Amino acid sequence: MDPKTRNVVALVTIIALVAVSWWLFWPLDTKITQGLDIKGGVQVILTAKPIGNIPLTEDAMSRTEAILTERVNGLGVSEASVQRQGSDSLLVQLPGIKNSAEALKALGSTGRLDFVDLRSIDTSENLTYGVKVPAGSYDASSVVVAGSNVKSAGVTVDTQTNQPAVSLEFDKAGASKWGAYTTANVRQYIVILLDNVVQSVAQIREPITDGSTQISGSFTAEEAKRLAAVLQAGALPVELTPSSTQIVGPTLGGESLRQGLLAGLIGLGLVALFMLAYYRGFGILSWLSLGMYVSLLFGVVALLSRLGAYALTLPGIAGLVLTVGLAADSSILIFERFKEEVRMGKTYRTAAKSGTRHAIGTSVDADLVTFVSALALFVFAIGPVKGFALTLMLGIVCDLTVAILFTRTVVVLLAENVIPKAPQLFGLKGGDGDA
Amino acid sequence: MRRPTIDFMGRRNWFFAVSGIIIAIGLVSLFTRGLVFGIEFQGGTVMTFEAQSGTTAEDIRVSLQKAGVADARNATIQTTQDGAFLVRTSEADPTKAAEAFRAVVSDLKLPEQDVTVTTIGPGWGRSVTNAALLALAVSIIAILIYISLRFEYKMSATAVLALLHDTLIVLGVYSLFGREVTPNTMAALLTILGYSLYDTIVVFHRIRENSRNLQKQSFMQMANESINQVFMRWINTGLTSIIPVLCLLLLGGQTLKDFAFALTVGMLSGAYSSVGIASTVYALWKEREPKFQALKKKFEKETAKAS
Repeated sequence: MDPKTRNVVALVTIIALVAVSWWLFWPLDTKITQGLDIKGGVQVILTAKPIGNIPLTEDAMSRTEAILTERVNGLGVSEASVQRQGSDSLLVQLPGIKNSAEALKALGSTGRLDFVDLRSIDTSENLTYGVKVPAGSYDASSVVVAGSNVKSAGVTVDTQTNQPAVSLEFDKAGASKWGAYTTANVRQYIVILLDNVVQSVAQIREPITDGSTQISGSFTAEEAKRLAAVLQAGALPVELTPSSTQIVGPTLGGESLRQGLLAGLIGLGLVALFMLAYYRGFGILSWLSLGMYVSLLFGVVALLSRLGAYALTLPGIAGLVLTVGLAADSSILIFERFKEEVRMGKTYRTAAKSGTRHAIGTSVDADLVTFVSALALFVFAIGPVKGFALTLMLGIVCDLTVAILFTRTVVVLLAENVIPKAPQLFGLKGGDGDA
Repeated sequence: MRRPTIDFMGRRNWFFAVSGIIIAIGLVSLFTRGLVFGIEFQGGTVMTFEAQSGTTAEDIRVSLQKAGVADARNATIQTTQDGAFLVRTSEADPTKAAEAFRAVVSDLKLPEQDVTVTTIGPGWGRSVTNAALLALAVSIIAILIYISLRFEYKMSATAVLALLHDTLIVLGVYSLFGREVTPNTMAALLTILGYSLYDTIVVFHRIRENSRNLQKQSFMQMANESINQVFMRWINTGLTSIIPVLCLLLLGGQTLKDFAFALTVGMLSGAYSSVGIASTVYALWKEREPKFQALKKKFEKETAKAS
């Protein structure tokens, strides 16, 4: 690609990226997911301890995560989430919830999975998936088998209908109870409840004496998987204790957000003023670079928000503000190197070409070193700092994109067309000038 | 106009002395006063009450006592600058803490939505610290590998030396000022380690470039010239980095201030150590190589004669 085409391609690409970014992030308040510490709610970090001498395996943790997700969804909170943190912790976020006590109780309990005859449940409600029966609507004696009797459960295919189904295996005690019950109650309905929430209602087709049961019906594959997970892991395989519980009121979070953004904007303004005062014409260019940088960063953040992979937290705001300085640094390296090469007697044109190349080389190395430590933080650290590390990494990527596609190209174009006519606008004297 | 040439290398002993003194003071403070750890490291609860005019800290203490908070007498109650009350107790049960908070709010009829409660169980701090130390170890190894591959191992070793210098200084400052160490502080500290290398890399880049055809001066002289060549870059990138962070320190809320304080101290130390420690130690080390020994003999004598 000849240099002219390359410049055009670079500028068109960056402008397109900025346009896409604006489309992605505007309006900001709806397009960027706000973290719990900003929009308010309850945030709990639960740390798992093994029960008895069962070791804390990866499998146990992912089962725990699945069960917690199920329970969190059962709380009826929109945008609630459960995430793994480190090897033994889970971060549960419940936006908008004010009463952490109730939420904690529902989350941390080990969970009770009961198989109950439909007739023994005293309720007027139509029992379907997700319905919560009031406590005491059936008594312990009417529980046919319990979650502790379930040996394994999995997804299978009903050979007759070719539909997804759930296979279920009871342990010895469970199989004998289940055999006696199913023999006596063919055509009756059994209700499977997890902590009083109906998971499934199934009809007994025939006596099942070997403990090996299949629940079929009009399941989608997803539904079958969910039920199998609940059956398999009705009881939590680990003991959970809350390590960190945070309740944030929405007003206070919003106030922190405003303070953070104000600080960021003032910081950006002061940096912009400094750049203008010191670098004159190049200062204006750095404004554009900074503007593009902020656009790209917000664009990426909005995109990740849309994919559910990002939420702006207070530490994240600190990361955003920190990267404003980082973005200005790249511009400074380019301008300084260019001016230096001009001082060494190179023509503007040559100085721009070799200067920007060298400066970007330095930027890449310096940025990547920062990136490496942010990555280590993101992968290994636990707690709210992950948001900080992620924001910083995104900032570095956006910074390099703007420096390479935009700042470099514009310096080269200016050196060819504008700087020779008015070097003093850029803090350069004519010829062998100096700053 | 020629730029002023500053003899950084000649003042290296001053740099070492200044760093040594600051680190020594910090270490003495670390060993005698220690660090103030936030509740994240001990377990306990922090509640923020957005108070109405007329509410006093004593009202809150009495109300906490009524609500059954065991150590209400010893709880620290601070007033924040926007008129809220920051209460710290050793209550480590989140359910009880939340109930107590609710009781105080209804007892004193405070606006409910303006409140935060954070409860940390014991042991959480240790998990956070362990994870942070792991992250630190991994990032130091990664930085060592990266700089060794892109530059050379002597640069990576001196860069990491400067980084440890910055860590000690930040920890010392935290101890001296009695600032509370929170998991956020540790995060900021870890990041600043990467960020403080920014300046070091800029200087090293120039030293590497200038050392390619080194014949007419000693390594030390060349390193000094390299620093002078990137001096304005060093000052300006430092300024533009610290301006936004200072804004955060002055204008941000409590969480953001915590971050900004660690970032500010780390940035100042990082900018200084890239020249004062990383570059000087590196140049001293390089000059011991036989190739540069010869150059040193040749040119340092000449300058001695000339002066």
